[in-house]
Amino acid sequence: MTKKYETEAPGYTMTTVMEEAARCLLCHDAPCSKACPADTDPARFIRSVRFNNVKGAAETIRENNALGAICARVCPTEKYCELACSRTGIDCPIDIGGIQRYVTDFEQAAKMDILKQGKSNGHHIAIVGSGPAGLQVATTMLTKGYAVDIYEKNEKAGGYLTYGIPEYRLPNDIVEYEIKRIVNLGANVHYNTTVGEDIMMADLKANNDAVVVAVGASESKVLPMFADNANVETAVGFLARVKEAKGNITDLPENAVVIGGGDVAMDVATTLRRLDVKNVTDMAYEEFDEFRASKKELKGTREAGVTIVDGYVPTAVNGNEVTFKHRHIDSEMTIKSNKIILAIGQRVNAANLGITINKNEEVPYAGYGTADAKVFVTGDIAQGDKTVVWAVRKGKEVAEQIDKMVMGETPAADLVGGNE
Amino acid sequence: MIKKDLSVDFLGVHFENPFLLSSSPVDNCYEMCAKAFDEGWAGVAFKTIGPKHFKVDEVSPRFDELTKEGTPFVGFKNMEQIAEHSLEENLHDLKKLKENYPTKIIIASIMGTNEQDWEELAQLVTEAKADMIEMNLSCPQMTSHDMGSDVGTNPELVKKYCAAVRRGTDLPILAKMTPNITDMVPAAKASMDGGANGIATINTVKSIANLDIDRKTALPTVDGKGSISGFSGKAVKPIALRFIQQLREAAGMEQLPISGIGGIETWQDAAEFLLLGATTLQVTTSVMQYGYRIVEDMKNGLMHYMEEQGIDHLSEIIGAANKSIVPVDSLNRDYKVYPKIDWDKCIGCGRCYISCFDGAHQAIQWNEEARRPTVDIDKCVGCHLCNLVCPVGAISTGEVVMKPGREGNPEDIKIESPRLTHF
Ligand SMILES: Cc1cc2nc3c(=O)[nH]c(=O)nc-3n(C[C@H](O)[C@H](O)[C@H](O)COP(=O)(O)OP(=O)(O)OC[C@H]3O[C@@H](n4cnc5c(N)ncnc54)[C@H](O)[C@@H]3O)c2cc1C
Ligand SMILES: Cc1cc2nc3c(=O)[nH]c(=O)nc-3n(C[C@H](O)[C@H](O)[C@H](O)COP(=O)(O)O)c2cc1C
Ligand code: SF4
Ligand code: SF4
Ligand code: SF4
Repeated sequence: MTKKYETEAPGYTMTTVMEEAARCLLCHDAPCSKACPADTDPARFIRSVRFNNVKGAAETIRENNALGAICARVCPTEKYCELACSRTGIDCPIDIGGIQRYVTDFEQAAKMDILKQGKSNGHHIAIVGSGPAGLQVATTMLTKGYAVDIYEKNEKAGGYLTYGIPEYRLPNDIVEYEIKRIVNLGANVHYNTTVGEDIMMADLKANNDAVVVAVGASESKVLPMFADNANVETAVGFLARVKEAKGNITDLPENAVVIGGGDVAMDVATTLRRLDVKNVTDMAYEEFDEFRASKKELKGTREAGVTIVDGYVPTAVNGNEVTFKHRHIDSEMTIKSNKIILAIGQRVNAANLGITINKNEEVPYAGYGTADAKVFVTGDIAQGDKTVVWAVRKGKEVAEQIDKMVMGETPAADLVGGNE
Repeated sequence: MIKKDLSVDFLGVHFENPFLLSSSPVDNCYEMCAKAFDEGWAGVAFKTIGPKHFKVDEVSPRFDELTKEGTPFVGFKNMEQIAEHSLEENLHDLKKLKENYPTKIIIASIMGTNEQDWEELAQLVTEAKADMIEMNLSCPQMTSHDMGSDVGTNPELVKKYCAAVRRGTDLPILAKMTPNITDMVPAAKASMDGGANGIATINTVKSIANLDIDRKTALPTVDGKGSISGFSGKAVKPIALRFIQQLREAAGMEQLPISGIGGIETWQDAAEFLLLGATTLQVTTSVMQYGYRIVEDMKNGLMHYMEEQGIDHLSEIIGAANKSIVPVDSLNRDYKVYPKIDWDKCIGCGRCYISCFDGAHQAIQWNEEARRPTVDIDKCVGCHLCNLVCPVGAISTGEVVMKPGREGNPEDIKIESPRLTHF
């Protein structure tokens, strides 16, 4: 029953990955590498594959990106590396994500241990949140010789990697493998520990050279009209539940309405279909020419048999009956459904963390500093794209900044956050 | 990133790794060699320097490629001769390279038309502080019969010229051999008798890669005409490996110092040359196609191979394959091994069926309904053509059986290594 939910699309074989790598033009000053937010250097690792050096390819990926096996699967490559690919001038871009997946699968099969913990430098940092951003900060700092403690509110690490992105796109085994490697590097993870409740920022500051807040936007937004409605569930709540149960949930509806037009909405709608919910309708605020979900996700959702209606906003709710109006044309529709799932965005909960979050669910200034010279932000709550690969980039960047500060190369005052 | 010591000692000279640019346009001037050193090459056999009186006059265009089903540069044909720069410029570049890159190895490739030329050139490059001399006895497209591969096929001339170079220098001498010869051993022996210390091989193979079938001449066409000229790249690797093995098999040459050349592009190619007894490795065509950067994956891949083999120095594997390559008449002919077909991997293309019927022994039965092949043990001779054509690696080596009336235990027979059968 859950097979369609649990099964990832097949990857390349040794032969087919070479065929794909052979399409690569091995460009000079490769545009794909310049377009990767995390500097994973696709041109370099594809070249290694091309010259039969898969282990070398794995080293390139891993040294640049602590979550290489995850990015391989979930990066919206159409917006980054593959958008820039020169091969587009002939036909279609190189399947960079697919090649990266082959290489990181090989890395895992060959039990390669590429990253090594740096020699202890006697400094300590604390990280609040174990999502992709926190994990990357931990990796970079561990390789530099810092002692790293991660405080995580949940029972498992990974943030939305563990509790959000569905199994068929990102198998939990892969997430666990990536996290295990970071734990083996020396990260000390404190589970079920909410900073601001179970332990206070003041304690972390007192015991560490720096504290990095990487709490992401872990709560769902809810429109007031849907509050306290038994038929309503939030997208991230639903996805977390399904992923934890490996798809074995017992209260599946016969039909469902999903509200939202981003990747999260696509994940919810596709998950429902893969769990054999018969009629799934997605009502999106955006029209298709301004759609937020990636093309890949939109395609997958359509192939899963979801009905997507674009340009509608909910205007009234009555129990399990929702009325929608089109944003531009005079059109109204009412849908009755025993399940309404809201995928209208996530919000940050920064209670007692001493940082300011604006209505875009991020700090109100660019960069990673805060008003407190010892406290930094990164991941989704820092400005920039809100994707895994950007979380990796932001994690690497903040780690470099903190290292410079601790080593005395940058005056701490320079890192204090902009005008709030 | 893995770190392993790739250094090798060759003719008394220390190389930080075995990878060198072979003498050709890829190391034609100071700037090129400097860039190559910066990208990780351990040395160069600088583009062949001729005597002052020899005037180089090149054709245009001068290259052609052999392709197969969309793969470019399967082989590469060139009509180039020796260095286009003046003798003074070349000597100046050699000197400056050694000054600015003291740990990199500069091999001066030279070619004369007579004993006096050879001796003089040897003196000049020695004064220019080269680390080693390579005698180009093997360019197949020289415009003079006193030069190039015609010389390399004549052991007497080879010996005479080697002796001349020996008079002009006390540096180690490599004699670069031509593959346009049935047996390389006499020429190689002659060069050592003359005073050379090691062999570099192969130079290019005389060829016609393609014709212009409308103009009815060989490619590339120069004002409507073509020529036979040198072939290099991946397609010549098997020829190079064979010559190197034959040199090391010859009595008294088991430890012959060799600089291996011909179609090297990946770390596996490099490992193969090392296993057959080459200590240094020289590269041109793949650099012309892809650039100096290919050395990164050759070095890194070779380090991973060392790690897998559990060795700390390349010297531990140099020549390690020589002894297990034996004459065909001493191979074990007492058994055969049947192919094993994995129906779960099989995608039902039928290529094994076609190849076995049309190119082997009609031993594959094709189930039209299921679109799956089965091996008829009575007809199968165990040639494994099917294994090579299967696009998904569904066919591997299976049961080993002794031929009727032969002694032996099938379980003792060594079949392919996991690296080759693992998909
Ligand atoms: C359903 C879904 C699908 C997505 N799909 C993709 C995709 O395909 N590709 C892509 O690139 N991006 C995708 N994203 C976005 C991506 O997951 C985020 O950009 C990324 O996870 C942000 O990383 P982060 O580390 O900043 O935060 P998060 O992943 O949100 O992690 C934050 C962590 O902090 C913990 N935490 C929060 N508060 C506290 C506290 N007070 N104390 C201790 N711990 C705390 C949380 O429990 C969580 O573990 C998706 C997001 C969702 C929700
Ligand atoms: C364009 C071209 C020019 C060459 N010029 C020389 C030369 O001047 N001297 C020489 O010894 N070999 C010359 N060679 C031969 C190469 O050094 C090398 O022996 C041969 O190409 C095989 O190696 P490869 O397959 O790596 O190219 C030349 C080869 C090419 C392709
Ligand atoms: S831009 Fe595309 S074709 Fe060029 S190196 Fe990158 S993947 Fe290859
Ligand atoms: S490769 Fe360079 S030198 Fe040769 S024809 Fe092209 S542009 Fe001219
Ligand atoms: S060649 Fe391979 S895939 Fe094709 S029919 Fe034979 S076994 Fe099957």
